[in-house]
Amino acid sequence: MPERTIGTREEWEAAREQLARLEAAQAERGEEIKQRRLELPWVPVEKEYTFDTEDGRKTLAELFDGRSQLLAYNIMFGPDYTLGACPGCTSVGDGLDGALVHLQHRDVTLICFSRAPIERLVAYKRRMGWQFPYVSTYGTEFPFDFGLALTEEQASGSSKVREMVENPPGWLEEWSQQVGAELKDGLREAPSWIAFARENGTVYHTYTVTAPDPFVAPYFSFLLDRTPKPQPEEPRSWRKDEYPG
Amino acid sequence: MAVHRTGTREEWDAARAELLEREKQLTRLNDELARQRLELPWVPIDKPYSFATDAGPRTLAELFDGRSQLLIYNFMFGPEYEAGCPVCSSIADSFDGVLAHLAARDVTMICVSRAPIEKLLAYRGRMGWRFDWASSEGSDFNFDFGRSHSPEQVRSFLDGGVPPQVSKLASECGTDAAGFLEEGPGLTAFARADDQIHMTYATTARGVEPLMVYYAILDRAPLGRNEGDPSEPWFRRHDEYPAT
Repeated sequence: MPERTIGTREEWEAAREQLARLEAAQAERGEEIKQRRLELPWVPVEKEYTFDTEDGRKTLAELFDGRSQLLAYNIMFGPDYTLGACPGCTSVGDGLDGALVHLQHRDVTLICFSRAPIERLVAYKRRMGWQFPYVSTYGTEFPFDFGLALTEEQASGSSKVREMVENPPGWLEEWSQQVGAELKDGLREAPSWIAFARENGTVYHTYTVTAPDPFVAPYFSFLLDRTPKPQPEEPRSWRKDEYPG
Repeated sequence: MAVHRTGTREEWDAARAELLEREKQLTRLNDELARQRLELPWVPIDKPYSFATDAGPRTLAELFDGRSQLLIYNFMFGPEYEAGCPVCSSIADSFDGVLAHLAARDVTMICVSRAPIEKLLAYRGRMGWRFDWASSEGSDFNFDFGRSHSPEQVRSFLDGGVPPQVSKLASECGTDAAGFLEEGPGLTAFARADDQIHMTYATTARGVEPLMVYYAILDRAPLGRNEGDPSEPWFRRHDEYPAT
């Protein structure tokens, strides 16, 4: 931990005032970006997709649950993961339940997707105590069509993935042990948010965002960014029931 | 709802790539802000404060619960309120599920409000929350950190009239505008080492917006926040939405 500057309340106020200007500039840039996001064209989804859910097979349109907007977080939990979902994605999941009812009243259905079979998702959801609907993309082309997963060929053809598989940093090796999958399989899933709109019987894809955008981080990282001490550089995560010590 | 502009996958890809560049710039600015936050001077807090909790009276140092970092959400629930502020309640909904992750990183997160502890605990029971809630009733704490305002200060805010949103929220809290505005929301961070406490960061107003997890999600939804212009407050306590 670096040496701290200790100051008077007046010195703090002056430094805070300067930081507030930067925070305000950032908020202003955020507003511009939000506006541009709303201007993205909507792309009609013409292919039929059917998913395994906790309530049987459902089409993409049915996942909206009667609302006009669908937001989904794609949790990295591939068919080859033997020990459960990615702990970082699990931490994202832990932050979602408090938003469900508020979003439903804004005409938004919030769900999570993963590529492991539905039975494994249901068991993991129970372990984590989650409330959001959890939908399996197992056996569908959906995750490959929307960049939520790489096919084996895509993964082995990607120099970025190959580099991480061949020379993984220590934290990534630990991650591979946490999920119980080899990196060549584990790294095929993309931690992403994806958004769809439904209107007059047509479903439109509107937006996708993938890590390292700060939105694809656990909710509590906003809080950790405001605590007194810096966070470690390496992105190590643990499931809430597996913290060491 | 008007049909939105539609496009081909290629058109979307091109527009998305352009937007991504801007999103990346914002991410870098975000990282820079996090770095600068850590450079703020730490302010020693030597005044003794006492709080009422469900486990009896506690000092500020004791609120750290053995950890070295304390995040306080200043929840608007004043002595005149019959129920907590609905907006603060939606914020509490957002962070209540992640306390274990913060605790594991040496961070205790709690709420502090000025209503008597019995009122706070009854409301927490109603809402089903788990975070620790301390009452600063009778303490200078909320005033020293700019979270509560005296009736004289509130009168000067109200000189220009009462905005309709304030009247609505006040009535939802079972108080009037003057009683409601005695409290303000905020996030305040403290560090503790060798029995010395420092205040390190504080924010209010738009600065607490990232605590509202649903806003971050709505900001990526097809229709965005869609709150109208001027925006209509839509959030309610999670047990007060009309059945759908």
